[in-house]
Amino acid sequence: MDRKFRTVASLIALAALGLLAIAGCGGSSSSTGGGGGDFVSGAEAACTSANEQIAALGTPQQEQVTGYLEKTEAVIEKLHKEVAALDGSGTAEAAYTEGLAKAIPVLTAMTNAARSENFDAVRELSAGLVEIHLGELAEAAKLKTCAEVPVSES
Amino acid sequence: MRRLKLILVLGGVLALAASVGVARATTGATTGYPQPKVVVPTQKQAPFENRYVLTAVGSGAGIRSGEMKFEFEEGSSPQFLVGISQFYTYSPTGEIETGLFTFYPPKELPNGKGLGFTALKVGASAQYGQVTPDGELQLLTPEGDKVKGQLRLRGGGPWPVEFKVLGEEERYTASPPAARQIHEARPNNPGWGGEASEYEGEYELTNGAEDPTVKAGTLGAVIGVAQGLGVRGAVVSDGSMTVEGNPAVATVELETGGTDRTFTLTDLAWQGDQRVARVHDEGPDGPVVGHFEGTGGQGEVKGDLISGRSVYKVAFELKG
Repeated sequence: MDRKFRTVASLIALAALGLLAIAGCGGSSSSTGGGGGDFVSGAEAACTSANEQIAALGTPQQEQVTGYLEKTEAVIEKLHKEVAALDGSGTAEAAYTEGLAKAIPVLTAMTNAARSENFDAVRELSAGLVEIHLGELAEAAKLKTCAEVPVSES
Repeated sequence: MRRLKLILVLGGVLALAASVGVARATTGATTGYPQPKVVVPTQKQAPFENRYVLTAVGSGAGIRSGEMKFEFEEGSSPQFLVGISQFYTYSPTGEIETGLFTFYPPKELPNGKGLGFTALKVGASAQYGQVTPDGELQLLTPEGDKVKGQLRLRGGGPWPVEFKVLGEEERYTASPPAARQIHEARPNNPGWGGEASEYEGEYELTNGAEDPTVKAGTLGAVIGVAQGLGVRGAVVSDGSMTVEGNPAVATVELETGGTDRTFTLTDLAWQGDQRVARVHDEGPDGPVVGHFEGTGGQGEVKGDLISGRSVYKVAFELKG
C-alpha cells in the first residue's frame, strides 16, 4: 500500500512538473513573444520615456551637437538596459534588443567624433545607425511606440 | 632618382598611417595599396618622386596651403607611385581645417603630359580605416623644381595647382606658407539669368534622397541631426525653392534627416552657367551663414548650398 501510494504520488508530481513545463513553454511559443504582453507593455513604456527625452533635446546647433549626442547615447543605453531586462525570448524581441545593443557603440563613436569636431565623421558614422533599421525591428516585435521617430520639440 | 627615407613630415600622420597602413621604412612607402591594373613605366613616374609644397591654387578650392609627397611603393613590381598630402583648407565659416589625401593609382595623361591620380580622402573617418575617392590630381611633367597641374575635390574643380619641389633638408615645423590664390572670374550679373522670367517662380527639388530616419524608430532623431552635419554634403530628402522679387530673393526649404530648414538667398548673381548667392538664416535680413555656388539655366539650378559647416547638395527644377 505504502509503495503504491509513493508510486501514485510520484506520477502526480511528474505530471505537475510536466504541466509546469508546458505552461512555461507556452508563453514563448510565438515568434514574437517571450514575455508576450509583458514584454510589449514594458518595452513600449520604456520607449515612450526614451522618445520623450530625445524629443525634449530639440534640434541642436552645431556647437550643441556633442551634448546632444552624449544625452542621446545615455537615453539609448538606458532603453537597452530596460528592454534587455524584460528578457524577451522571441526572435523579433531578441532582434529588437540586439538592435539597441548595436546602436550603443555607434553612438559612442559618433559622440567621440563630435568631441573632436569631426562632423563629417559624425554623419558618416550615422549610417551605422540607419543600417540597424530599429524602427522595422520594433514593428516586427509589435512595438508601436518604439517604431516611432521622436519628434523634436524645437 | 634617389630614394627618400620615408619620414612622414605631414601633420596628423598617425591617423593617416593607421588608416592606409603607411609605415616607416628604409626605402619607399608601404601603404598596402595593391598593384595597379594599369602599369605606368617607371621612368615616367620617377620624375615625380619628391616632396612638394603647394605654391599656388585656384581660389575656388578653398585651400590655404599644403604639402605633398610621392614615393614608390616599397617592394612593388612593377614599381608604382603613391602620394600623400595634407592640405590646410578654409571651412565654409572661414576656419582652417586639415584635409588628408592619398593619391593612387597613377595613370599616364594623354600625350605623355604627366601623371594623374585618384584623390582618396583620409580624414573624416580616418580612425576607422576608411579612405574614399574624392577627386583627381593631375601633375604635368616637372619643369625644374616646379610642377603644375590641376585638382578636383569634393565634386568641384578642376582648380589649377602649382607645387615646388622641396629639398631633402627643407622641413616645415608648422603649417607651410600660404599658397598664392589664383582668382577666377566671379559672376556679377544680377539675378540668375538675363530676364527675370527665366528664373523666377516655384522650383522643386529633383535630387532628394530617401529619408534615412523613416525606419529608424527611436534612433530617427539622432540620425536626422547627424545627417545634417559635415562639409561633404548633408543628406537632403525633400525641398523646394521660390525665387521672386526685385532684386530677386530665393527662399529655400530643405528637409534633411527629418528636420526642416529654411534659408534665404540674396545677392543672386550669374555669369554664363554659373549661379551664386549669399545664404541667410531667418530671412533676408538675418545673418549671412554661407553662400550658394552652382550652375543653372533653362529652368534648372543645382550646386552647393553652404550653411555654416554644412553643405547641402541641391538640384532644383522650375515647375512648369
